Amino acid sequence: MAEKPQAVKVLYCPICSLPAEYCEFGPDFEKCKPWLINNAPDLYPHLLKEADERDASKVSEQLQSVGISSAADVAASSSQPGDASSSKQEEVKRLPGGKIKKKEKQEVVIEKVVRNRRKCITIMKGLDLFGIKLSDASKKLGKKFATGASVVKGPTEKEQIDVQGDIAYDIVEFITETWPAVPETAIFFIEDGKKVPAA
Amino acid sequence: MFKKFSSEDVSSQNQVKASVQRKIRQSIAEEYPGLEPVLDDLLPKKAPLIVAKCQNHLNLVLVNSVPLFFNIRDGPYMPTLRLLHQYPDIMKKLQVDRGAIKFVLAGANIMCPGLTSPGGALDDEVEAETPVAIMAEGKQHALAIGFTKMSAKDMAINKGIGVDNMHYLNDGLWKMERLE
Repeated sequence: MAEKPQAVKVLYCPICSLPAEYCEFGPDFEKCKPWLINNAPDLYPHLLKEADERDASKVSEQLQSVGISSAADVAASSSQPGDASSSKQEEVKRLPGGKIKKKEKQEVVIEKVVRNRRKCITIMKGLDLFGIKLSDASKKLGKKFATGASVVKGPTEKEQIDVQGDIAYDIVEFITETWPAVPETAIFFIEDGKKVPAA
Repeated sequence: MFKKFSSEDVSSQNQVKASVQRKIRQSIAEEYPGLEPVLDDLLPKKAPLIVAKCQNHLNLVLVNSVPLFFNIRDGPYMPTLRLLHQYPDIMKKLQVDRGAIKFVLAGANIMCPGLTSPGGALDDEVEAETPVAIMAEGKQHALAIGFTKMSAKDMAINKGIGVDNMHYLNDGLWKMERLE
């Protein structure tokens, strides 16, 4: 019979975990492309050509813009393609990091909602963006203001803290004191549109 | 079949007795004679063989927390795709044409026209109820592992489901390289 069959070493793409030739069927072929060009150029020869074409067109654009415009414009236009390429690189770098964060601005939003005629609730959103555990936060809030506080799940994955009663104007001080990571400038109230903090 | 599969679907993991281990080795050796010389490396006699029982009467054979084979309800043992990529010649191969690739990669069963159209290839010796490797037109590596529903000769004539898609690239079992 034949000799002991040797194990075949398969090149797996680190991004989509498929064998390199199946990357086009993987979840994100665009992300795999730069890796493929480096490690498996023979599988996708048209990719190499594409990449070369793209680089060539970019370089020719830059040359054109430099040639046509005057000195002042040169600075602007040469920074523009530079920006475009660096932002593209930034995008490309961010996404493979795993988490696709859609530009989450770190801010805390405080809203007041009327529950019964006399009673209202203060809703705080966005604390978890600062790395604060919501369950601990709600406990502290409840204790400090001697009222009920709970963590509520919104319609999306976002969670918010509901505190009973109107604590809007004490809350800013409390937040900045307990969690120095939160600057005052990052707290917003909702009054028919966002407002700058500290009331 | 492994479309949704995670470590939560595993109900129990047990180390099997030596007698059971011998039986498993034997049935694997019978099914895949090409694997015999390497069988000692893959399933060493001394190493603890763990069988993980999962939903739908599925058993996974693990060695060192790496799933190697699986079977359903005492059916034939089938290798995981990772193992098949390392030893591609142990199973018979059926080839599907390009258009079918993305459907198979989504878990679809393989219909006879996919194997009989230009671009697809059938191995005439394949009987019904056997595990086969599914290759893709123009690709070197296996795409999926299937269980034939009808013999190759029947597939040439009929339409309908030819091969059940048991395990495909990027499914739950593929993503689970180790199971603690």
